[in-house]
Amino acid sequence: MSQLVGGDGRTHIESRLMRESLQDRAVLSGTDSERDLQIFPDVTMVSIGGQSIFDRGKDAILPLVEELAQVKKRHKMVIGVGGGTRVRHTVALAIDLGLPVGGIAQLVGAMEELNAILLNALLAPHGSMPMQRDHFWDLPLYFDAGITPIAISVPPFHFWEPPPIEGALPMHGSDFGLFQLAEVLGMKQVIYVKDEDGLYDKDPKKHADAKLIEAIELDDLMKRMPTENILDEEMYRTWHEAKNLRRVTIVNGLKPGQLTRALDGEQVGTVITRSGKNEVRHV
Amino acid sequence: MSDRRTIESALSRSTLTGSTPSGIDYRPVAVMPDVRVVKVGGQSIMDRGRAALFPILDEIVEARKQGIQVVLLAGGGTRARHIYAIASELEMPTGVVATLGKYIPMQNARMLQMLLAKHGGIYILPDDFEKLPLYLSLGCIPVMSGMPPFGYWEKHEAGSRIPPHRTDAGAFLSAEFLGSRRAIFIKDEEGLYTDDPKKNASATHIPRITAKELIARDLNDLVVERRVIEYLPRARWCHELQIVNGLRPGQVLAALKGEDVGTIISA
Repeated sequence: MSQLVGGDGRTHIESRLMRESLQDRAVLSGTDSERDLQIFPDVTMVSIGGQSIFDRGKDAILPLVEELAQVKKRHKMVIGVGGGTRVRHTVALAIDLGLPVGGIAQLVGAMEELNAILLNALLAPHGSMPMQRDHFWDLPLYFDAGITPIAISVPPFHFWEPPPIEGALPMHGSDFGLFQLAEVLGMKQVIYVKDEDGLYDKDPKKHADAKLIEAIELDDLMKRMPTENILDEEMYRTWHEAKNLRRVTIVNGLKPGQLTRALDGEQVGTVITRSGKNEVRHV
Repeated sequence: MSDRRTIESALSRSTLTGSTPSGIDYRPVAVMPDVRVVKVGGQSIMDRGRAALFPILDEIVEARKQGIQVVLLAGGGTRARHIYAIASELEMPTGVVATLGKYIPMQNARMLQMLLAKHGGIYILPDDFEKLPLYLSLGCIPVMSGMPPFGYWEKHEAGSRIPPHRTDAGAFLSAEFLGSRRAIFIKDEEGLYTDDPKKNASATHIPRITAKELIARDLNDLVVERRVIEYLPRARWCHELQIVNGLRPGQVLAALKGEDVGTIISA
């Protein structure tokens, strides 16, 4: 059993990390392994775009809700939503006011929550509920009851948002937040529902000759990342250092059936897979 | 199909996926620049108990009496290491380990609050941050856990299961948000050494160093979390970390008064 250890003025509890510096590389490397405990391996995270879907209003939202209502009977899902143009307006104003990056991060989540309320009001008759911030341990109960939870998509970094690599915008938005939720819970996959057929080598809204990337390994994608990306850069960076998720799909929510096919594991939209091992990264 | 209905703004056409679009004028404002954000070490101070802690608290109370605004953040220590060790054996994801890591600094913060209550010590949660102006103008000493609220959203760092943002990061990021120039870390060493002085007697003290020099030294061990050293050069406000020895009488008060004691790591 654990014992108390003294002798240097501090009282320690006997453990493998006792007295050790948690900045010491040798100590840190002894704590890791190839994979984590997979907590919910049969659950899919579905992220629905703010600007791409919700800002289009009824025409885009209702067919997607209908599809979700059908497909939720066969698949365990957690749904998250983006905030869209209201987030951009918030950030533009906050930047003009000179608010610190943590202040901006604190503000943006409210705009996404509006879309979550709309989605839940539409999906509730088919069985949905907003999930409190980190009430993941309720998930088995939700699924047993046929309820699809709607998660908060913006991560709780708030005032503690780290200084961005460049510029003044918070790095951790809803794409990252939902990815990370799926990663930490060891989920099966993440599906991002947008208004394009997937990821292109350049922005298809601006370039007629843009080519769809149908299937790609994350490592290959990192080497030739499109500069105009449909997903947050931080999501890819995080995935590259993560251990659990193997599959991210981007589908077109304006085309009925694409989400269902992605949930069924078909090759649709852009399928990004990851099999590589982690590279060691230290400051 | 309906078009995207957008609100016109400087960012309305931005993907928000990367750097700030050009042509945007960002002149940041400092939120509460006079506040001193101070972290009390877990293993280095709290786990030593009364002998180490009481004299430090006396100096913090003295600083507060002199009108210096102090926000205290608590570290974790040996109980955090114990739960990290067991959680690692069980292959818990980093985000779960980070969530477990919240509880010990919270206990320590509550201990500090009980001891400081008669001097205005008040326990706060991350959600209470916006009430700091009230607490500080009343002469209180707000005390909170140093752990940033990332929890399950803490990212895995390659080669380690331990959350990379712990209570040092929480103290630094708190100072950065508040617009404070320096974050102060009370430990049981004079600051930075060439190696762990507890294990290597020939390690020498470093009074002042830049983050860049520190990274270039490629040390196997560091006195503050690596993430903080990485963030320091990118910070808008908090450009210095000050590490002081809480076991040496007078150092904490000197640091709170703005004196250069211990080790200063600058951006």
